[in-house]
Amino acid sequence: MVILSFIRIVKFAFQDFFRNFWLSLITITILILSLFSINFLIIVGVVSQAAIASVESKIDLSLYLATDANEEDIGVLKNELTLLPEVTGVEYISKAQALEAFQFKHKDDSEIIESLRELGNNPLNPSLVVSARKLPDYEKVIASLDNLSKNNIIESRDFDDHKSLLTSMQNITYKAQQVAILISIIFGAITILVVFNAIRIAIYTHQKEIRIMKLVGASNWFIRAPFLAEAILYAFGGVLGIILIFYPFVHLLQPYLGAFFEAGNLQLVGYFQDNFIKIFGIQFLIAAIINIVASLLAVGKYLKV
Amino acid sequence: MITFENVTKIYPPNIKALNNLSLFIGPGEFVSIVGQSGTGKTTMVKALIGEERISQGKIILGDWDITHIKQREIPYLRRQIGVVFQDFKLLPKKTLFENVSFAMQVCGHVPSQIKAIVPQVFKLVGLEHKMHRYPSEVSGGEQQRVVIARSLVHRPKILLADEPTGNLDSINAADIISLLERINRLGTTIILVTHNKEVVNSLRRRVITIDGGRVISDQKKGKYLL
Repeated sequence: MVILSFIRIVKFAFQDFFRNFWLSLITITILILSLFSINFLIIVGVVSQAAIASVESKIDLSLYLATDANEEDIGVLKNELTLLPEVTGVEYISKAQALEAFQFKHKDDSEIIESLRELGNNPLNPSLVVSARKLPDYEKVIASLDNLSKNNIIESRDFDDHKSLLTSMQNITYKAQQVAILISIIFGAITILVVFNAIRIAIYTHQKEIRIMKLVGASNWFIRAPFLAEAILYAFGGVLGIILIFYPFVHLLQPYLGAFFEAGNLQLVGYFQDNFIKIFGIQFLIAAIINIVASLLAVGKYLKV
Repeated sequence: MITFENVTKIYPPNIKALNNLSLFIGPGEFVSIVGQSGTGKTTMVKALIGEERISQGKIILGDWDITHIKQREIPYLRRQIGVVFQDFKLLPKKTLFENVSFAMQVCGHVPSQIKAIVPQVFKLVGLEHKMHRYPSEVSGGEQQRVVIARSLVHRPKILLADEPTGNLDSINAADIISLLERINRLGTTIILVTHNKEVVNSLRRRVITIDGGRVISDQKKGKYLL
C-alpha cells in the first residue's frame, strides 16, 4: 500500500512536471538564474582569495648583514632561519650579487652609476631574503631573530616598510570579507524570495486541481506529496542546469582571470571540481528545502476546502 | 439515510443561510431540492460533504454523525458520497480515464481493480470510446457524464448533484437526468439540487422546496413550486 502510494506520487509528480512543461521550464530557469548569482559570488570569493595570496607571495623580509660578516656566520644564520617553522625559504644575496642587481635596476640612471664609480668600492651590504608562509608569520620570524646565535651580524631589516602595507592589506581583506558576507546575505535573501514566489505561482495555477482532488476524497498528504516531489525535481533540474551552464562559463573565464595571476595561482575549474559535492550538493539541498517549504505553504493554502 | 436535524448555519456578521432546517432522505430515494438562488441549497450540499461547518443542529449520514467531523475524516466522507457540480470539475491535464481512475487511486485501489472498474463506469455513462481523451477534447455534456462516472467508482450509496445541468443545453440536460435516473434504479440515493423547473417537473419524484434556509414544502411526487 505504502509502495503503491509512493509509486503513484512519483508518477503524478513526473506527469505534472512534463504536462506543465513551460511552467516547469520557467520555474527551473528562475532557479538557474538565482544559482548563477550565488556561484558568481563564489567565483568573486575565490578570485579575491587568489589576489591576496598573490600579493602575500610577493612580500618578503630582507635582513641586511654587516659588510664585514664572514661567510661562515652568514651560513649559520641562514640555517637557523631555515629551521624556523614559519619560514618557507631563505635566499642569500652576496655583496657582489646585490651590486649587480643594483646596477641592473639603475642602468638607465647615469647619475647613480657615476656615483658608484666615484665611490670606488661596493657600498652595498649582503642580505638574507626570508619568505614565510603567511602574513602574520613575519611578525613571529622577527620576534625569533633575537634568539638566533648569529643575530649580531644583522645590521638592519626592511620589514617595517612592509608592516604598514601588510596591516592595511589585512584591514582591507577583513573589510572585503565583511562586505562579501553582507552581499551574500542580501543575495541569499533575494534568491530565497524569488524562488519561493516562483514555486508559489506554479502552485497557484494548480489551485483548481487541488480543490478537485479534495472533493474526490484525496487526503491532504496524497495531494501534497506530488507537489513536494515536484519541488525536489525543480531543485534537481535547477542544479543540473547550473552545472551544465557554469562549467563552460568558468572554462571561458579562466584564461582572462589567469592572465592577472601567476601560473597556478588561480585554478577556478579545479576549485569547482575539488569542491563539487560541497558546492552543488549544498545548493541542491538548500534549493530543495526552499522549494519544499514554499510548496507546503502554497498547497496548504488551497487545502482548506 | 440522511438526516438534517434543526440545522442552522450563520455566516458572519449574522446571515442565516440555513435556519432550523430539518429533513430526512431515505435509502434509494430520488429527491430534488429546489429553491431560488441564495436560499441555502449550496450551503446544504457543502455541509453534507464537510466543506462547511454548521452553527447549530445535527447532520447524520447512515449511523455516522458528521456534525463535528474531524478534518482527517473528511476524505473518507467524500469517498462515500458521489458529488457532481455544475462546473464539471475535471483535472484538465489528465485524460478522462486518468480523471476517473484518480478517484480510485486516492483510496489506494490496486491497478487491477482500476482497470476492471473504470471501463465499466465509462460504459455506464456511454463514453467508453472517448476515455483516453483530455477534458478539453469532449463536449460539456460529455464532461459532466465523466464527472458522474468519477463519482460512481467508489460505488457510493449517495450521489449528490448540485446544478448538474446548469451549464448544459436542454438535450444534454435531459441525457444527464436520464443517466441519474438509471443510476437511481441501480439503488443509489440521488439528491438533485436544482432550480431548473422543467427538469423537476418531468421527474415526478420527491421535491423539497427551500426558502429562507428552511423547508417550506416536501411533496412525494412534487412539482417546482416557486
